[in-house]
Amino acid sequence: MAVKSSLDLDQDPHSIIGVREFDAPRELVFSVWTDAKHLAQWWGPNGFTTTTSRFEFRPGGVWRFVMHGPDGRDYQNRVTFDEIVPPERIVYRHGGGEDVEPVQFRQTVIFEDLGGSRTRITWRGDFPSAAERDRVIKEYGADKGLVQTMARLADYVAAQG
Amino acid sequence: MNLDATFSALADPTRRAILARLARGETSVMELAKPFDMSLPAVSKHLKVLERAGLIARGREAQFRPCRIEPKALKDVDDWLEHYRRFFEESFDRLDAYLKVLQAKPPKAKGKKHGRKK
Repeated sequence: MAVKSSLDLDQDPHSIIGVREFDAPRELVFSVWTDAKHLAQWWGPNGFTTTTSRFEFRPGGVWRFVMHGPDGRDYQNRVTFDEIVPPERIVYRHGGGEDVEPVQFRQTVIFEDLGGSRTRITWRGDFPSAAERDRVIKEYGADKGLVQTMARLADYVAAQG
Repeated sequence: MNLDATFSALADPTRRAILARLARGETSVMELAKPFDMSLPAVSKHLKVLERAGLIARGREAQFRPCRIEPKALKDVDDWLEHYRRFFEESFDRLDAYLKVLQAKPPKAKGKKHGRKK
């Protein structure tokens, strides 16, 4: 049975971290990230399908694909692989092209062998502006403010509606 | 909508604190500067970043330029986080299901195509 966790904004104020465990050996879990045919089987929220036009699974390589939403909308995507360390780690950047969705962020996927054919994935998304982030970490140290602010902001936005 | 600018603006704890203060209501630069050990120009600099990111708006009166929060930009951030959360949870649910299917196949079926043998 898979152990679920929700996204965590508190652990690191500059990243969004999610952790999931799978009942499958690490090599297998890693392998389904390495091939567009596999990715098409699970990538994206419920109701989305994926069409890949380019797939280069190597550092510097690009994955171009369209996500077809359940509402009929198409979302152009570009992923650029920065780091590939089989079967431990994949680092990629999402976005970064004129015709793609506007947000650029860096995603790190860590595959841990838990033994007994179990694997833990840690999925970490970094907020943009690494230089800014590093400066902030240095100057202010760890900060727990983001999640509270976000919660407050969410309340505020809800109150506006 | 420029979420990069928005997130970059939100990456600073002082700016988040300013936003949290503004979430309680419109106020002046002077008021905003009080809880921080910071000069007015330093606070103004943060406000410019927030304004450029569309997170706040400022009144036009020359002396007292009250700052207020812009709900539209915050809504965009909120929507994006929700989208991100959904992507994570549902993709990984699907990944879990897919891994089960792959492992349910007979181990000798090496070819990927539908596990069909001879």
